[in-house]
Amino acid sequence: MRILVAEDLYLLRDGMVRLLEAYGHEVVATATTGPETLDGLRKWKPDVSVIDVRMPPTQTDEGLKAALAARREVPGLPVLILSQHVEQLYARELLTDGASGVGYLLKESVFEADQFIDALERVAAGGTALDPAVVAKLLSSGTSSKRLDRLTERELSVLGLMAEGLSNQAICQRLFISESAVSKYTTSLFGKLGLTDDDTSNRRVMAVLAYLGLTGS
Amino acid sequence: MSWVASACVGFVRSCIVLVVSMLVPAVWAAGVAVAIWWRSPWTWIVPFVWAALGTLLLIRPVAGMVRSLLARWTGTVIPGGYRELGTVTRLSTGFWWNGHSYEKTRRDAEKDLRLRVRWTDPANWRDLRCLAILAVTAGLSAAVPPAGIVAAVLGFAQSMPVLGVAGLVVAVASSPYAWRPFEPIAVRFLRPTPSMALANRVDELTAQRADATVAQAAEIRRIERDLHDGAQARLVSLGLSLATAEKLMETDPRAAKALLKDARVGAATSLSELRELVRGINPPVLNERGLVDAVRALAMDTPLETTVSAGGQLRLDPPIESALYFGIAELLTNAVKHAQADHAEIAISHDGNGIVVLIEDDGRGDARVEDAGGLAGLRRRLAAFDGTLELTSPDGGPTRARITVPCESL
Repeated sequence: MRILVAEDLYLLRDGMVRLLEAYGHEVVATATTGPETLDGLRKWKPDVSVIDVRMPPTQTDEGLKAALAARREVPGLPVLILSQHVEQLYARELLTDGASGVGYLLKESVFEADQFIDALERVAAGGTALDPAVVAKLLSSGTSSKRLDRLTERELSVLGLMAEGLSNQAICQRLFISESAVSKYTTSLFGKLGLTDDDTSNRRVMAVLAYLGLTGS
Repeated sequence: MSWVASACVGFVRSCIVLVVSMLVPAVWAAGVAVAIWWRSPWTWIVPFVWAALGTLLLIRPVAGMVRSLLARWTGTVIPGGYRELGTVTRLSTGFWWNGHSYEKTRRDAEKDLRLRVRWTDPANWRDLRCLAILAVTAGLSAAVPPAGIVAAVLGFAQSMPVLGVAGLVVAVASSPYAWRPFEPIAVRFLRPTPSMALANRVDELTAQRADATVAQAAEIRRIERDLHDGAQARLVSLGLSLATAEKLMETDPRAAKALLKDARVGAATSLSELRELVRGINPPVLNERGLVDAVRALAMDTPLETTVSAGGQLRLDPPIESALYFGIAELLTNAVKHAQADHAEIAISHDGNGIVVLIEDDGRGDARVEDAGGLAGLRRRLAAFDGTLELTSPDGGPTRARITVPCESL
């Protein structure tokens, strides 16, 4: 894949480039500031980009702003936001124009390199990758936790993994249960929440997020 | 009907103002009367001393009366600005020191201090000046309605109906207005002089500075302890694991791999600890987005259903943003933990003078500002910016908190 890496700290940028190249991906451009990131996204239209939230010149949410601006110009442009902290607020902003091709992960998720590359590829393919920390916050926040009262513990964990963007197959590997058991749980929880079950993972994520009141749709 | 009521109220108030503002002149009038009655110029000194002493004793209670009348009638509160009593300390010699003199007993030291402060307070001159001015201004204007009534009574009693009717008309027409000059004059001349206000402000700031220094030192100690026991210790253990893994790489690759995995988990844990620590010092969202979005992010993370409304994005001085953020966090935590609320509403706005934050929850109320409690700490942190916290929390709820901090929106 052709990838853009936007990160202002040299050590992290260098490490990220090496990791991506070790997995056989091509880093077509790097950026160290918000405006550079936006220019790079416009110019290269990379298959996916890895973007840090906080960058110069203002040291505020430059990276996030650049990603949102680029996605307004090119709808569905895949971006994976990496940050030292995850906020529901930022997740909401990223997801308002659709969950396709959106990733939002903590920086330490690169420690699990296989899973990180997996998430990156999922985002590039138009899927979703949300950090478990932000999903946990979503599921336990005021409005959601009441709505989810009716779910069993197992159904809740399946819902959480689904919201992270995982497919049924990935969920069964994560929970050490059979794929048929996973599809049984998804059917029952979709039924309890009054949502339509759907096989494409992106639409499932959208359904879950819309149910949690996270997206506009 | 309402006009009649205001005339009656005005008449009563005029009489009260007349009495209060004429107390000191009455003492002098009595002195002069006695002096004239004695006729000998050499004995005038006695009534003069008597009147002066009476004035000194009267000014503070009369000024107090003026203040309480105004507060009751118009709601205008005039701060006294009198000098505060200092503290009395016991010395190793057994004597008591009150800042001016040594005394044998605590009671003597306090009595001495009280007298000194009472008689040397510059506020006495201000009170005296104010009462003198009140007597010839508000006192005279308040005398009009009673004088009208007296004229009316005299007129009718001595069958001069023109005088009677005129007196009555004057009394009724002037009643609603005659007492009113009392307020502006009292406010103008009875408020603390700039130097008194400044002295009070210095005391206030000294106390705040002490609070701020103590709080800052405690905060730095907490951060040091957290780093020392958390991240630093974990990095040491990380280094140990890596060193051991390096050694075992050739002899026992399987154990080395397990150690490397431990090291990775350790790194992830120290990162999440550092993240919590950073959040406690200065939440990253606050830095990246400012107060309003940071409060939105905070509201999303609480188990309460919380609505946040704000008049646009406000950017304030970072220290003020931080104090407000942690203040709101504290109140939300209280709403969850103590009030067991389900909903909370937060409104943030700028009213031209400063920032106003209103927080209301539907919990069981009964929140109190206790000396060592979180709310008292919040009030102290706000006081460093001249901010205030008002709390109304009846038993059974709801709790309403209002935070104001005077500041500009950047």
